[in-house]
Amino acid sequence: MPTRRHILRAGGGLAAGFFLPAGLIRASAADDVVEIHMQGRPDGSAVWFDPIGLLVRPGQTIRWINSDPGNSHTATAYHPRNGDHPLRIPETAQPWNSDYLLPNEHFDVTLTVEGVYDYFCIPHEQSGMVGRLVVGTPSGPGARSFEGVGRTTGGQNGLPVPEAALKAFPDVQEILTRKIVRRA
Amino acid sequence: MRMSSLISGTFGLAALALVATPGFAQSVEKAPPKGNYKKVSELVKLPDFLPGIGTLYVDPKTLPAGPFLAYDRDGKLSSTIYMIPTKDLAAQKKFEDLPAPGGRVDHVDLYFNAGHPGVEEPHYHIVLWHVPKADEAKVAKK
Repeated sequence: MPTRRHILRAGGGLAAGFFLPAGLIRASAADDVVEIHMQGRPDGSAVWFDPIGLLVRPGQTIRWINSDPGNSHTATAYHPRNGDHPLRIPETAQPWNSDYLLPNEHFDVTLTVEGVYDYFCIPHEQSGMVGRLVVGTPSGPGARSFEGVGRTTGGQNGLPVPEAALKAFPDVQEILTRKIVRRA
Repeated sequence: MRMSSLISGTFGLAALALVATPGFAQSVEKAPPKGNYKKVSELVKLPDFLPGIGTLYVDPKTLPAGPFLAYDRDGKLSSTIYMIPTKDLAAQKKFEDLPAPGGRVDHVDLYFNAGHPGVEEPHYHIVLWHVPKADEAKVAKK
């Protein structure tokens, strides 16, 4: 059972994160909350988001749950405000960063701007722990290829994206076709 | 990365640790260890007890290699762990005179770890178990 809740509305307007006791978790309509689990092998040799690719409607809430008993994870948008990472969410959307979630903790984001959102786990980006969301119709920087991304530090290009992360992203078209994409 | 050089480098490090002199076994046998060791879960956001490892302590100045000292739920030292980034192994980086304060070593495990707060890059865990194989269960998931 998740023990705390962080909420962020990542539309074009207000962005705020806060905690609520576990008893209030079920306040949202179940259909409007989709879950992504942070997973890991018992020995920590592999970590991943499950599912890794997801198609959602504008206004749906994404809930990341740390289901890995032996590690901490984050769900962090690719955005210059998050450690100078490249912009890979719609330009008008607010970036989010869950901060470290201990086992059974969770973090919510409600996405209202249509487009493609790429995100990563801070301690595991180098190991390819990334995910991709398509909200409504794919558009924005996340819908484009990584060509030219991360080749310079600072500015719009941001830090280089590790090779393992580049290989892990599911294809946008595959997400549109299957709606839910799990790690191969 | 050439796996053969990585593995040979890793085994070399384990062998180095195995022959190290257990000079401070008495001061680290029970948690909390004496000296500059800090509880890892108070340094970074990690669970206090890690299934398969136990409760970790480290001298922050020794990061990322350690040694990390791992204790079971009764506060008894179960293993000493070194965390060596794979990029350092691939670069054939030399690690010398790593402290091995835990005393007698029963057996050794080496395995890959994808990273975690504190050592946020892919690395190898080199685990010197101070307890018999059967007692590894004392740090397993409940």
